[in-house]
Amino acid sequence: MVNKKRLMAGFSALAALSMGLAGCGSDTSTNTNASDGGSSDGGVVNITYMHRLPDNDGMVLVNDIVAKWNKEHPEIQVKATKFDGKASEMIKKLETDVKNDNAPDLAQVGYAELPEVFTKDMLQDVTEYAEQYKDHFASGPYSLMQVGGKYFGLPQDTGPLVYFYNKAEFDKLGISVPTTADEMIASAKKAAAAGKYIMSYQPDEAGNMISGLAGASGGWYKVEDDAWVVNTETDGSKAVADLYQQLLDAKAATTNARWDASFDASLQDGSLIGTVAAAWEAPLFMGSAGETGAGDWQVAQLGDWFGNAGKTGPDGGSGVAVLKTSKHPKEAMEFLDWFNTQISDLVSQGLVPAATTADAETPEDWAKFFGGQDIMAEFKTANNNMGDFTYMPGFSAVAAAMNTTAAKAVDGSGKVEDIFSVAQTTSIDTLKNLNLSVKE
Amino acid sequence: MSATTHTTKAPGAGAAAKPKRSDAAKRENRTGWAFMAPFAILFALVFILPIVWAIYSSFFRQVAEGGGAYGGGKLVNKFVGLQNFQFVVTSSAFWSGIGRVLLYTLIQVPFMIIAALALAMLLDSFIVKRVTVFRLGYFLPYAIPGVVASIIWVFLYNGQISPIVKGLAAIGINVDFFAKNIVIGSMANITTWTFTGYNMLIFLAALQAIPHDLYEAARIDGANGFQIAMRIKLPNVRAAALLAMLLSIVGTIQLFNEPEIMSVSDPSISKSFTPMMMALYTSRGTLTPSGDGPASAVAIVMALIAGILAALYALAERKVNQE
Amino acid sequence: MSLAETRNMSKEERAALRARKKADRIRDLHANDLPRSMQPSALVKTVTIIVLVLTLIYFLFPIYWAIIASTKTPAQMTGSNGLWFAVGIADLPNAIATNYGKLLGWTRGNFWRWVLNSLIYSGVSAAVGTLVAVMAGYATAKFNFRGKNLAIGVIMGCMLMPAALLTIPQYSIFHAMHLTDTMLAVIIPCCVSPFGFFLGRVYAQTSVPNELLEAARIDGASEARIFFTIVLRILAPAMVTIFLFLFVATWNNFLLPLMMISADTLKPVTLGLYGMVSLATFNDRGALMMGALLGVLPVIILFLALQRYWQAGLAAGAVKG
Repeated sequence: MVNKKRLMAGFSALAALSMGLAGCGSDTSTNTNASDGGSSDGGVVNITYMHRLPDNDGMVLVNDIVAKWNKEHPEIQVKATKFDGKASEMIKKLETDVKNDNAPDLAQVGYAELPEVFTKDMLQDVTEYAEQYKDHFASGPYSLMQVGGKYFGLPQDTGPLVYFYNKAEFDKLGISVPTTADEMIASAKKAAAAGKYIMSYQPDEAGNMISGLAGASGGWYKVEDDAWVVNTETDGSKAVADLYQQLLDAKAATTNARWDASFDASLQDGSLIGTVAAAWEAPLFMGSAGETGAGDWQVAQLGDWFGNAGKTGPDGGSGVAVLKTSKHPKEAMEFLDWFNTQISDLVSQGLVPAATTADAETPEDWAKFFGGQDIMAEFKTANNNMGDFTYMPGFSAVAAAMNTTAAKAVDGSGKVEDIFSVAQTTSIDTLKNLNLSVKE
Repeated sequence: MSATTHTTKAPGAGAAAKPKRSDAAKRENRTGWAFMAPFAILFALVFILPIVWAIYSSFFRQVAEGGGAYGGGKLVNKFVGLQNFQFVVTSSAFWSGIGRVLLYTLIQVPFMIIAALALAMLLDSFIVKRVTVFRLGYFLPYAIPGVVASIIWVFLYNGQISPIVKGLAAIGINVDFFAKNIVIGSMANITTWTFTGYNMLIFLAALQAIPHDLYEAARIDGANGFQIAMRIKLPNVRAAALLAMLLSIVGTIQLFNEPEIMSVSDPSISKSFTPMMMALYTSRGTLTPSGDGPASAVAIVMALIAGILAALYALAERKVNQE
Repeated sequence: MSLAETRNMSKEERAALRARKKADRIRDLHANDLPRSMQPSALVKTVTIIVLVLTLIYFLFPIYWAIIASTKTPAQMTGSNGLWFAVGIADLPNAIATNYGKLLGWTRGNFWRWVLNSLIYSGVSAAVGTLVAVMAGYATAKFNFRGKNLAIGVIMGCMLMPAALLTIPQYSIFHAMHLTDTMLAVIIPCCVSPFGFFLGRVYAQTSVPNELLEAARIDGASEARIFFTIVLRILAPAMVTIFLFLFVATWNNFLLPLMMISADTLKPVTLGLYGMVSLATFNDRGALMMGALLGVLPVIILFLALQRYWQAGLAAGAVKG
């Protein structure tokens, strides 16, 4: 009995201690980490910025871009750190950091994740500073950095969906980029008969790509009277389900997961000769395809495949947001505007910049692979042709559920349309679990 | 924070030692704790505090304050009682995950232990001379980090790339390592590949510690090699084997790396494929309800199940030992 | 060794231990030569060797494949024969240099720095972790103290807790102690292993004779002196096993440094590699394989160098398990 009591007491002591440590954090933090960002040192404002850009060989490194800024702006010194993990892991870390008052001033946040990050109480309203930079960015991406009319940062890159295809192979088959859904099916069947595929069904990208394609025809999430109205089974969604289901039934599309090596293999062996892709996939295609079809590929706008007159939707893309604990939002935004308009440097990181202050030039090796085409111009056209799509808080859970369901359509144990019904139920569950209002 | 009410009593309760203890016992108590202290302090910091935190947080959920469409950008910790646990035990995804790891454990652990035992016995059977080459070769995978091992194997499973799949297809055997009923076996293979050598080394060490006059005596009694293996060697490595089994069971319940990496190739492997994946992705908001509260509840229920299984196993082992 | 002959025990014990170790070594070396009378038939011999060699191929083939893959570009990775290099032997140095360059690019030139960091993390964690685990194991094996059974129970219970999930609270605690983004934030959590404690306890129970301790006490040796001069010596081979276990576990851990470390100069090598893989846009798998192989090289070298010790250590643990 004595032992038991002592045990209880000991545990309670530990519990109290732990609560104090974990919950209350410390305001007097003098940590060498990001919290330095808050302190100004002799008039110098220190800003910290966390990103997950590739920073690979041959790119202009983020630190080098930042060094340029630091040289020109001795009064605002920026320190960039690269997070070596997934987007969801970074959000988790930032969430903890914000609670501990230890977060960087600026952090890369995907457009689809912004509402979630907002709901998690991690962002700072910087509408008053954002206004003046509005004209530097395309309006669509700019508006993706707001939640409920408040702005939280500036957009960095965009991912409009376009169509990549191998023109030489298309010519050989006597087909061209389809303009209608019927034409798409007919051409896909014709190609499949010759062992070629002009479409790919990517289960692991369903949450991003399929939602983008469906969203091109109209959004899924609307706010009415401060409550969510969710409809993921729109006409646009049905059109997407219909087309892909027909392609799958006719075995006229590849079904490799996008980030599996087998997708690369299908490019490499020349069997995949056309696919819907996000603009930022261009340099990846080049790496995966190697010599196969180099110089023969082209970028085209989506045809009128989903009954929306060829509108396109967003797939990925990120902005940079000012986090709640930043003590210098004005200076942070000043730097951010400068950073996000370093167009050629950002292009070197494989991004399609959201900034419009200068035309992004197609890098030489990209043009070489895409038959001399100015693909940046195509991406710009696509950017301007993008439907409005608002993401809901907690969309990552919806996307994950969509991916799992999409995989079932591959082996025939499910249908493509199931993706959208699962999206509907998961969306509503997620919103309710977050304690947000839903109108059903 | 009702927990704090007990804290003031804690030191008093601890100091109220039995006065009649002998000096020797007191000294022993002191010495014992002195040796124990460094580990105990670190352990409290790294395990106890976080676990207490996890238990505490499992009674809360993070929800947006004020409701509305976006919750006004405020997040509050809401006490939800046992609601997180209710969610876990009624979640079909959770129990499917438990079912999968149990199935996995049933296939993988006995297979690996038996394979490791067999290899150790063969290496110890005086048949082979260059034991070192085999020993190190079998053991090498243990040095490869789990994530990397999984990436390598995913390539070797991939129908369009793998020389294994292509080679088998060339001789008329078509295998799909990602097929619905095979995918668990494919994962089990990765674990087996990584850890068999490690277990084998432990068994080999146990075998080599057996005094050699035992063998000679058996040989004089007319026992053949097989009988020696069964009657002398096996009983001598039993303790090591049972322990390895227990540790492997605990390890496989926490299965994560293999399904995580394989899900890149096979998106039908969901984010809640194993309880460990479910816990991690719940914590990161990829599953709903999300956050640390529900994630902690998943982890706690999972640890309880692992504990029960380990206890059952230990009981069964003791019972078998007594007979 | 009787209690009567306890004068200069530590010296004698040292000699005895040395002799025992030597005997072990000789027996290990000649284990396979001993029972000549038990030579199996040629058939059994052939079958056994075939089985063992096939198993060896199973264990080594993926590593062989990884070595080949580490010389390939993303396109060659999927487009060329998996069993052999994609380029001629003459071009091989170039291919290796290309991927090595890419690896350094992906890791922003920090690759070897990160390997060094990993060595520091693993080395220090394993050394400290082994010492505290053995001390605690020895304490629970040889002393009666209040709360002992409870301590053992709690520690063993924690073996069941998924350690990966404790990273978030650990991060908060370490932040409150101003330790995040320092080497200590990785080293301290990696020092503590319930499994290490468990091994330490088993070893101390099975291989430290109580008589020896009693004799030393009668000699007037302090408890600390007994532990550091006698017990540690006996437990040395066991400690190597715990050391290697902790070393590998720390080396492979990436969730903890992912949370704790932001500075590029403090990252361990696995975190850098994980950073490559987790970029959605990553497809340079050949460079990744090269990084993975170069990254485990130090571990393999360590295993080979300490081979004799850890095998003795495994034996020490296995006898009575």
